[in-house]
Amino acid sequence: TTEIYTRSIVGSVRCVQETGFPIFRTMDLEGNVSDSKYEILDKPTLIKLFDIMVTERESDRIALNMHRQNRITFYFSHLYEEAVGPAIGAAIKDEDKIVLQYREQGILLWRGFSIQEILHTVKGSNKDHAKGKALACHYSIPKIGVLPLSAPIGSKIGHGAGLGYAFRTQKEDKIAVTFMGEGAASQGDFHAGLNFAATLGSQTLFVCRNNCYAISTPIEDQYAGDGVAPRCIGYGMPAIKVDGCDPLAIAYATKHARQMIMERKGPVFMEVYGYRGGDHSTSDSAPLYRTKEVLAKLKPYLDAIGDPIIRLGKYLEKKGYLANYKEQMDKVGKAAVAECHKYAKEMDETPYPEYKTMFEDVYSYTPQNLKEQIEQLDAHIKKYPEFYPLSDFKKKQSLFNLTCLLYTSPSPRDQRGSRMPSSA
Amino acid sequence: MGLFKTKEDMLKVLTRAASKQVYTRVLLPKSLRAFSAGPAPLKMDFSEKVNTNEIKLKNPTKLKKMNICQSITNALDIALATNPNTFVYGEDVKFGGVFRCTVGLNEKYGTDRVFNTPLSEQGIIGFSVGLVAAGGVAIPEIQFGDYIFPAFDQFVNEVAKYRYRTNGLFNTGGICCRVAYGAVGHGGHYHSQTPEAHFMHTAGLTMVIPRNPIQAKGLLLASIRSPDPVIFFEPKILYRMSEDMVPEEDYEIPLRKAEVIKEGKDVTLLGYGASVRQLQMAAKMAEEKGIACEIIDLRTILPYDFETIEKSVNKTGRLLITHEAPITSGAAAEIAAKTIEKCFLHMKAPVKRVCGYDTPFPFVYEPFYLPNRVKIFDGIQELMAYQLELLLNQWLSLIHISEPTRPLYISYAVFCLKKKKNT
Repeated sequence: TTEIYTRSIVGSVRCVQETGFPIFRTMDLEGNVSDSKYEILDKPTLIKLFDIMVTERESDRIALNMHRQNRITFYFSHLYEEAVGPAIGAAIKDEDKIVLQYREQGILLWRGFSIQEILHTVKGSNKDHAKGKALACHYSIPKIGVLPLSAPIGSKIGHGAGLGYAFRTQKEDKIAVTFMGEGAASQGDFHAGLNFAATLGSQTLFVCRNNCYAISTPIEDQYAGDGVAPRCIGYGMPAIKVDGCDPLAIAYATKHARQMIMERKGPVFMEVYGYRGGDHSTSDSAPLYRTKEVLAKLKPYLDAIGDPIIRLGKYLEKKGYLANYKEQMDKVGKAAVAECHKYAKEMDETPYPEYKTMFEDVYSYTPQNLKEQIEQLDAHIKKYPEFYPLSDFKKKQSLFNLTCLLYTSPSPRDQRGSRMPSSA
Repeated sequence: MGLFKTKEDMLKVLTRAASKQVYTRVLLPKSLRAFSAGPAPLKMDFSEKVNTNEIKLKNPTKLKKMNICQSITNALDIALATNPNTFVYGEDVKFGGVFRCTVGLNEKYGTDRVFNTPLSEQGIIGFSVGLVAAGGVAIPEIQFGDYIFPAFDQFVNEVAKYRYRTNGLFNTGGICCRVAYGAVGHGGHYHSQTPEAHFMHTAGLTMVIPRNPIQAKGLLLASIRSPDPVIFFEPKILYRMSEDMVPEEDYEIPLRKAEVIKEGKDVTLLGYGASVRQLQMAAKMAEEKGIACEIIDLRTILPYDFETIEKSVNKTGRLLITHEAPITSGAAAEIAAKTIEKCFLHMKAPVKRVCGYDTPFPFVYEPFYLPNRVKIFDGIQELMAYQLELLLNQWLSLIHISEPTRPLYISYAVFCLKKKKNT
């Protein structure tokens, strides 16, 4: 069918070589680095990077299978974007805070968040840090410096600007790394966040993962310009475009961006070019809009960026850090799959928290109307227990339970006055 | 192995499947279900016939089985065909929409009229206001009701006030914004919200919520052609669940009128959208106890049709309102206040609101959070029992028991009667 429209297309596919703003890359598809000054990561870090990327890919695959088996409700896949999170995690310091969009799970794995905790978060079980209140995959982990994630696109960009401003005025050697996709860069919050950060001076590193698709919207329908990075000239902040399947380039650019942020006390923008290999999420089906014709048009771009794991593997082989990267992939992959299965079983068997937890943490205390509603619900469930899935949820603590005696003592929750968790 | 307990079990099932060469569906045990569900729906037929009092059809026999999703596609198709100056757009609309409501429209009408927008709700509604100022009709789509808030300023400050602040010289009547809203089972905060209460406070907007495909198509066509801007909320859980024989022709259902779905004399049940199903199931449960319920579907939330509600409450004397949104300042609060104002002397019990709790929409606790048929049934019984307390109060006053001590007698009497009823 011929497309009927009168809008002119400004370049159908942005290839790595053909854009106006150059894209920074250090390593080619065969793992040859163009200059040794780009090799800033040492052997243990590189091996860890490789292992985490393989773990991410395998655990994604298992999670998608678990969704097909109806064991989890929702999941985001990170196919071909595994390099972004861990490489940035390797180049920033442990004290730096992270504001996620939703497709950067690798940085959580880098910082020590285990697959067990990820699975519990996805299910919302009793071992979930948010106690089942937050939507699946909505991480909020103070112990590794990750701010709460939320589904509305672009709303966290302003949060990153604010956090960076706090770090500057409190004279701390920390930055706020704020992730977003190229779709989020169309939101009004993007303009507000970047303008605030640049004008007021925030120690923020904005990272835009341009992966060619926002659900079904390709970049032709998202913007008419040359990507997202050139907009920063208007905001007055330095910007760079980086090849997203080249972990060395991402790490090098991030390290220098961090130095730049601390020197000029202002934000820096990094646009990372990648490709969303899988569906947007488990509720999406990419072949509906990524037909054979579309993929044929994208082929030059995909051939140019390649696969991040294979590129890094070939580089490690060339350097002699790994004997055979395929063997390492197999080994680490099998270990990741075994861990997934083990914790998936545990996840299935862990009940959800008790239903009373849904009334907690609306405010810092429990207001009167919520107390009345809790009583109403308790009385209702007592009257009609057969209609509610009480076996899936943890039982209410009885007074004779020893652990409950500790639980009924005044909890820090009600006395908490500060707005941030103490370990943040 | 995952699903199977022993290897023998797995081999048994797989060999049986292979031998019969049929697809064997493995029923997952309860512990392996992805999310918990509240009370199971009753086995009831929710499909309805066309209400001939409201809808005058030219070909009443030309019907097609559609769900809400398909009836909306059909309505958009008719709107685009009948008015060449109509535009359908939003995020991911071109390939058919994430809920598959705009399938085939881009291929039929072209990318100038059915297109994707960049990812910005604020932009979508701002863009719409300008688009209709040139005389066209705009049907933007907001993908989830939870993401309507960046567009809140445009709705409240621009769309709603355009006609008022220009004394009618300009208006945004060409806008009909379609929003997928409501609980879906595993949606959590950001895929289940019901934002109609936030907009109810804004004069100038119209909000319409259908309950089944026949209503959806008629109400959508009426909203698109309405001279006032309309926000059309579609309950996403019913997109595929609700099926009917829908007329294939172009028909409209009048806006700003509520519909009485079922007549009754004991209690009036009021709801909209997906809650109407819960009301119908609760009414069936109440029928077994001998309570005749009257069910009203509000359809247009703002401006709401109070005449129908008043007529019904004057007849029955009891009102129960339900919606998924939180109870404080929800739509039910406004209707309850107005009912008490106008129908106080006819009422036998205070207005009962069975709504969500005052928390953000929880993820795994949805079965406990939502107002389901069991809670509504409980509410109906509470309303019916209230008469008892009034009568006891009157009786105690007749035998000259002083006022302060009456509640003690009443509560004891109610307690004894309930105990007797339970044993």
